[in-house]
Amino acid sequence: MPRKIVVVGGGTGGTIVANNLAHRLYSEIVNGKVEITVVDPSAYHVYQPAWLLIPFRIMHQNEAIRPERSLLAETVKFRQEKAKRIDLNNRVVETDSAKLQYDFLVIATGAQPDYSQVPGLEKAGYDFYTFDNSLKLREALGRFSGGKLVTVVAGIPFKCPPAPIEFVFLADSYFSRLGVRDKIELSYVYPLPRPFTIQGVAEEVGKLMEQKKINMNLLFNVESIDPEKKEIRSLEGETLKYDLAVIVPPHTGADVVRNSGIADKGGWIPTDKYTLNVKGYDDAYAIGDATDLPVSKAGSAADFEAAVVATNIHDQLKGLAPSMRYNGRVMCFMTTAIGEATILIFDYDHPPVPPPPNFACYWYKLVYNRMYWTITAKGLLSGFGV
Amino acid sequence: MSEEKKEKIKVIDARGSFCPGPLMELIRAIKESEVGDIIEVWSTDQGSQRDIPMWAQKAGHEFLGVIHEQGYDRIRVRKKK
Repeated sequence: MPRKIVVVGGGTGGTIVANNLAHRLYSEIVNGKVEITVVDPSAYHVYQPAWLLIPFRIMHQNEAIRPERSLLAETVKFRQEKAKRIDLNNRVVETDSAKLQYDFLVIATGAQPDYSQVPGLEKAGYDFYTFDNSLKLREALGRFSGGKLVTVVAGIPFKCPPAPIEFVFLADSYFSRLGVRDKIELSYVYPLPRPFTIQGVAEEVGKLMEQKKINMNLLFNVESIDPEKKEIRSLEGETLKYDLAVIVPPHTGADVVRNSGIADKGGWIPTDKYTLNVKGYDDAYAIGDATDLPVSKAGSAADFEAAVVATNIHDQLKGLAPSMRYNGRVMCFMTTAIGEATILIFDYDHPPVPPPPNFACYWYKLVYNRMYWTITAKGLLSGFGV
Repeated sequence: MSEEKKEKIKVIDARGSFCPGPLMELIRAIKESEVGDIIEVWSTDQGSQRDIPMWAQKAGHEFLGVIHEQGYDRIRVRKKK
């Protein structure tokens, strides 16, 4: 009987960890000693960072999707099934059509928008947190030629923390190029007393907002939205009027982890910040947006974490001590205009020191979007820099 | 303190949670509490000492102070409206 590795989730983290393991364990797999299975209900893999760029025509929707099977190594089995329940004590993943026993488990089930947390949110505004909504936002921006455009964060944590800042900076460039920027009032609305969670970055972002004449409304925690009146009310007692609202929805973990009793109140998996084990289980790991780790919910974190987990599962299978540790490394480009970006590189012990915005970072960000399919998702970069 | 003992104090243990976790936990607790209730957030995150009083002031709640314990802080806010 082969030793079985089951990966729940075929997004960035799940795909990379499966491919990385497949490279490391190639001979064991072809000799029938190890089996790797990825479980995901979708046959397609979506490159989610594209959702921010599609509304501005910086990326096209066809660049953002590929068949999952085309990304996985041939030696990895793919089951297009929905995981319904995970039993960590009996080492079983129950899907809508099978019960999968495992020796090692990787949970990479991601984060999902939860529109139900804010009354009125679903009907109120636009966002770039699903494929469909990104396309709808592209249409809305195309029609918008004047008025109040508010970009609002309605809950923390959410996927890609710099994204709403990037959105408002890109909107500034986009409308400037169209010659209508002076007819549009741009506002950035955020729950904290600074525009970003990390203090040093928040200071730089604040300066850029001022330069670009973007209003900042801080300490604004969305309580409810009235789509008819086009008003957003805050817990702090303020009312914000808008003509076009782009609202980052609150996020939660996947149904399968919440329904399996694994998640905390927010829906996130309690995860050891260094070993990435699901707390209390040395044969189960969690990576990417699904975890409760104090790092950004970002693809780069999932990539770095995948390398740690793949190395440690490989070592455990070989009878070695799992010795690799995740250091909290995250690397995110932050677009500051069409044609300009900076980069945030940080870990648990070192906050980011972003360089001044420049064209090279912007260019590399766009190049990276294309490289994702052929290098990152294939697990070929995984492990660099952890 | 004898006055305070009679009041309802709801403790939120957000130790180990990083910025802005403790503030978000406080906001959730305030939403679920009655006017007059005291919420005490336990936090190991240094940023909470700065963020929570700022939020309480803007939201119109009363910041009651910080009690420093070994390795964490107890930050108290009274719901005013």
